[in-house]
Amino acid sequence: MLRIDVAERPNWKTLAHELGFHFHTIDGEPYWKESAYYQFTLEQVERDIEAPTEELHEMCMELVDRVCHSNALMQRLALPEFMWDTIHDSWVSGQPHLYGRMDFAYSGQGHAKLLELNYDTPTSLYEAGFFQWVWLEQAIAQGTLPRHADQYNSIQERLINAMAHIGDRLEERTLHFACIKDNVEERATVHYLQDVAVQAGLVAPFVFMEDIGYQKGRDVFVDLDNQPIRALFKLYPWEELAEDAFGERIPQLSTHWFEPPWKAILSNKGILPLLWEHFKGHPNLLPAYFEERNPALLPPGWVRKPFFSREGSNIELLTPDGQREAVDGPYTDSPWIRQAYQPMPRFGEHHALIGSWVVGDRACGIGVREDVGRITKDSSCFVPHAIV
Amino acid sequence: MANHDQTPHLPRRKRSARLSLAMMGASAFGLTACGQPEQTTDVSFDSPRSYQSVEECVAADVYTQSACEEAYEASIKEVPRFDTLEACEAEHGEGACVAPTQEQSQAATGSSSGSWFMPAMMGYMVGNMMSRSSGGATSRGVYQEPVYRNRQNQGNWNTATNQASQRVNQRQQTMRTSAAQNRQAATQRSGFGSRSSARGGWGS
Repeated sequence: MLRIDVAERPNWKTLAHELGFHFHTIDGEPYWKESAYYQFTLEQVERDIEAPTEELHEMCMELVDRVCHSNALMQRLALPEFMWDTIHDSWVSGQPHLYGRMDFAYSGQGHAKLLELNYDTPTSLYEAGFFQWVWLEQAIAQGTLPRHADQYNSIQERLINAMAHIGDRLEERTLHFACIKDNVEERATVHYLQDVAVQAGLVAPFVFMEDIGYQKGRDVFVDLDNQPIRALFKLYPWEELAEDAFGERIPQLSTHWFEPPWKAILSNKGILPLLWEHFKGHPNLLPAYFEERNPALLPPGWVRKPFFSREGSNIELLTPDGQREAVDGPYTDSPWIRQAYQPMPRFGEHHALIGSWVVGDRACGIGVREDVGRITKDSSCFVPHAIV
Repeated sequence: MANHDQTPHLPRRKRSARLSLAMMGASAFGLTACGQPEQTTDVSFDSPRSYQSVEECVAADVYTQSACEEAYEASIKEVPRFDTLEACEAEHGEGACVAPTQEQSQAATGSSSGSWFMPAMMGYMVGNMMSRSSGGATSRGVYQEPVYRNRQNQGNWNTATNQASQRVNQRQQTMRTSAAQNRQAATQRSGFGSRSSARGGWGS
């Protein structure tokens, strides 16, 4: 695994706008960066990332099954009690899921270590699945990469595949899509998923989360035209849905959710100590504990994370030699876990994080984010990768 | 000279052979128009196209005849079917429904003597989503793979919706209910996302 400087495509910003990638620069700071790429060998991709991703995914599915059949585990994960049956039923009835992303610390050598799961509302999907792929094709065509260069990326193809599978099971092949207002990046990610759905033959109307309606006596939520929302993809986390004013309506109505309610189990950082409990010593796992139960189990060299947080917020770390780093944020109202500190690999001044995508039950691609700090945040740059 | 296979061994390919956007890149065709044609590549961005008939699809000379035909058959299979004209019209409006032609019936159900009704087709879409049946060899292989591992009954949830007649009943029920509701009940909104402004975003 190498970080290699490379010429940017001269027209890439124009192309980005033409292809709907308007958030390549966020608040004046670059988000998409193609003045360099990360280079992997095929063996690194297949042996160290793809295979462990599928193995970890299966372990996660096993744990979901355990949690679904244990009120005690539901409680340990701080899942709201009125959602327990909904979560259980969604799993037992086999409600399909679409996608998820595992974040790994991996340097090109040794085992990739799982830092966390983003299995409910993962983003950076368009960049990884589509724009990164276009970059590779064009870099080859322009001669900045050799003809035999490749990329670990069948993300979009798998998404279309999975979406078609889901569409076959939806009434009128209709799936509503939603995210919150006033967030360009999330709207674009949802727009991309709508695009994928259309390519898979679905009807894919959009509604903002805030505009979703409830009418007394109806068995599903409704959109702005009061049309039934029988199935909804929401880029909005389960823990928030449950807390919201309509949260208690969810178990009463028959709207189908994507990701399904059982994903609440995996979008929760409490899954990390559970994974360690059940698969202790697995080479791709880091030791992790519930903070309340085991406040002093980890020596210096730990990361403290709230059960529920996004984009690196409220994460605090202490390196073994006593350096402290923290990111502020609003997620102070949930329990905490501690995970053993795993140094992020450095390439020059950049720390690189590998996001490994799972669509359906298949590992299918990666995206690399880099940051000068040790904690990957929403402002961390997305840098493309190639297999050479 | 030995007569063995001279085909070079191609390494496994880890990326998709071809991708496109259907709606996101509204100006996708601007790719070649924005100057510097030497920088364009064989990356193609095409949108699904709509045609009235197989003949029109073939005449447009974008897709092969077999792609047009297969897409048409696939579209016909997607058309909702109803046991009675009344049930169809209740859903799609008076005068909007027809009995299928023999060819349509054959394509949809494999039997040319269908005693069912469907909304009259306004046309059909041909595009990449059809490549599962008509596209190149690469996508053909991929599209036939199962998406999910066989875990419990994963994915077979809600299979009752495959029963068209049941679906119609449900819909009519919902329509009656919703018509009544539209008159009577006010819709409550802002029940989700209310805390969003404090946190900015939810992606991760």
